[in-house]
Amino acid sequence: MRSPRRSSAKASRGNRRGRTWVLPLFLLSPALALLLGIVAYPIARAIWLSFHRLEILRPDLTQYVALDNYRGLLQDPVIRIALQNSVVWVVGVVVFQCLGGLVGALILNRRFPGRAMVRGLALIPWATPSVLVALMWTWMLDGNYGLVNDLLVKAGILSRFQPWLAQPWSALPAVMLADVWQGIPFFAVMLLAALQAIPEDLFEAARIDGASPWRVFRHITLPLLLPTILITTMLRMIWTANYMDLIMIMTGGGPGYSSLTIPLHAYYMAYKRLDFGYGATIAIVQVAILAGAIVAYLRQLRSHEVMVQ
Amino acid sequence: MGRLGWLRTVLLCLGIVGLVLLLGGGAGSLHAQAPTVVRYWLWLDDPTEPMFDQLVKEFNANHPGIKVEYQLVPLSEYHDKLVTALAAGSGPDAGRFKDWWLGEFVKLTALEPLANSIAKWVGRGDVIENLWNTGKITTAGPVYMMPHQFITFYLYYRKDWFTQAGLKPPATFDDFLAAATKLTDSAKNQYGFGLRGGAGGQDQWLAFMVAGGARMVDAQGKVVINSPEAVKVNQWYIDLFRTHKVAPLSAPTDAYAQVLGAFQAGTTAMMAHHVGSSVLVTQKLGVANVGVLPIPAADPAKPATMATMSGNVVFAASKQKEAAFSFISWLSETTPMDKWSGSRQGQLPVLKSVARLPRYTENTFFKVSLDGANYAIAWPPLPGVGYVSAQAWQANMQRALLGQISSKDMLDEIAKALQR
Repeated sequence: MRSPRRSSAKASRGNRRGRTWVLPLFLLSPALALLLGIVAYPIARAIWLSFHRLEILRPDLTQYVALDNYRGLLQDPVIRIALQNSVVWVVGVVVFQCLGGLVGALILNRRFPGRAMVRGLALIPWATPSVLVALMWTWMLDGNYGLVNDLLVKAGILSRFQPWLAQPWSALPAVMLADVWQGIPFFAVMLLAALQAIPEDLFEAARIDGASPWRVFRHITLPLLLPTILITTMLRMIWTANYMDLIMIMTGGGPGYSSLTIPLHAYYMAYKRLDFGYGATIAIVQVAILAGAIVAYLRQLRSHEVMVQ
Repeated sequence: MGRLGWLRTVLLCLGIVGLVLLLGGGAGSLHAQAPTVVRYWLWLDDPTEPMFDQLVKEFNANHPGIKVEYQLVPLSEYHDKLVTALAAGSGPDAGRFKDWWLGEFVKLTALEPLANSIAKWVGRGDVIENLWNTGKITTAGPVYMMPHQFITFYLYYRKDWFTQAGLKPPATFDDFLAAATKLTDSAKNQYGFGLRGGAGGQDQWLAFMVAGGARMVDAQGKVVINSPEAVKVNQWYIDLFRTHKVAPLSAPTDAYAQVLGAFQAGTTAMMAHHVGSSVLVTQKLGVANVGVLPIPAADPAKPATMATMSGNVVFAASKQKEAAFSFISWLSETTPMDKWSGSRQGQLPVLKSVARLPRYTENTFFKVSLDGANYAIAWPPLPGVGYVSAQAWQANMQRALLGQISSKDMLDEIAKALQR
């Protein structure tokens, strides 16, 4: 038989556990309410929209259309092009931003005169509003009197001006160039912070052992930077997949559909064709694809135990 | 506290309450005299222009019962913002409005019919008669949009280049193509015509389409923009870029800024636009070097161009419809209209009394534009026009210019979008 003292101690532990659960929940409730309001509700609303045909100014005429919007995706020839463009856009932009950021971080980590000032100036592209970046690059890449054409022709690389934003093969890469330029400082700053956290003794020990600069980078710098690189890359993938400001201003998704990405297509369907149901459906599909890619990416990270490091 | 003390406290409280009620009542009567607030939205091509702010101050000063509060929204976002604000119940009472959106908003019952208010409006006889149609869905139907400022497209050309090349200003499609070909020298980055395939290019395109004999809709309102005649005219327009190469290589994505910049910089010899750019063009190139012509026609006996109206509407959800109409009808009176048309916004006045003023009749750019009003054709009031002008035209025109789709495919897509 259990002693009464032991059972009463257990009950009081249970009560305490109950109490310890209530207070944090109470304290968290404002944040939870906020999350429900600004994250859960819009997601639920978007899912609801994707099953309806919404007449935005006449909500009374809104119809439930079951899977019609999803069936519409299969018949939409533009969605396939937008999907391909989105993959090229995300992969291309993130890879080049990461490489550029890595080089930038390694340079900014070295000692040189005026380093503090250069570190500050390097952030300018990241701090510049997207609209300004888009307009600046639009004029620099202009096909009639753009600076880029002028320099390339004067350097003898081109024989005549190229309409970078008006050719199907160059429009998306041109916008990607602008985004890479804008995003490199973000990677550089993140990686610089990680670089500065690597203990100096490791480099010193490697140098004493006679390791070449490449071997130091390959076996010390890179492995210790990897967790930051991978997490930053994941964040950047999500942002880049949703980012459409530059494309919208520089090419509007054109010429034709050459630089149209999934979010821009969803925006056009919702706000220009006023087909909010179909716009929401495209957005849901993008979320599903992105979530799938991120889960696969995280699994890959775990399997390599990079996260643990 | 004794009984007397309690009584004193109660009396004091009652006194305070009475005083508050008295003052509140007084404030209430002051509130009753507060002016009716009319929220008005507009875009301005040049948002730094002080003209509109001065007009609002003038109106508010002369109409003590009404206070107009306005909000500037860029044209590119105007439609989206308006739709979402109206859906959220926070839309304006009245606003500047394009004929492009009329069909869509009337279908959604978002606009107030203005027939009764216009019948009582003193200025109605002064409006150029056929311009009332730009605010209607059918000729016999009610007016939803007060005509205010309109534009007709014409052709700018470099007089100096034409003289040097011994060319006459073109009156027909054939003359136009011949001149554009002669003035094109791609090695010097010089082209005959600034074709606008990017944002907003649909107005320029429609001007050439109708001048070539194509129509958006027939007399019964049926969409005929994909008719064989229209396909032929559209092919001619596409060939300016693809076959004859008289437009810059950047034409598929060139928007207003690029087309204007190319004409100002001496890259192009001709540009189709409206009176709104006349000051910028002549300031840069000099009045002597710039000429202006009606859009050349396929058949000179049947001239045509595109007109688009920027009018004013009262929204159906407004609770201040009468005051809102007072303001938008005042904007269409002689003095405010002359101030607007004479400003940097520089569009054509819809009033006969204003159009007769010397500053319009003696200005070549205004004169050619106003002459164009006699044969100009506007966008039809179909629900799909908003989508066509915002995206469908641009995407399909660019695909046609790049040879990805045929002229027929492009017009089929536009016909489909118009009929949504």
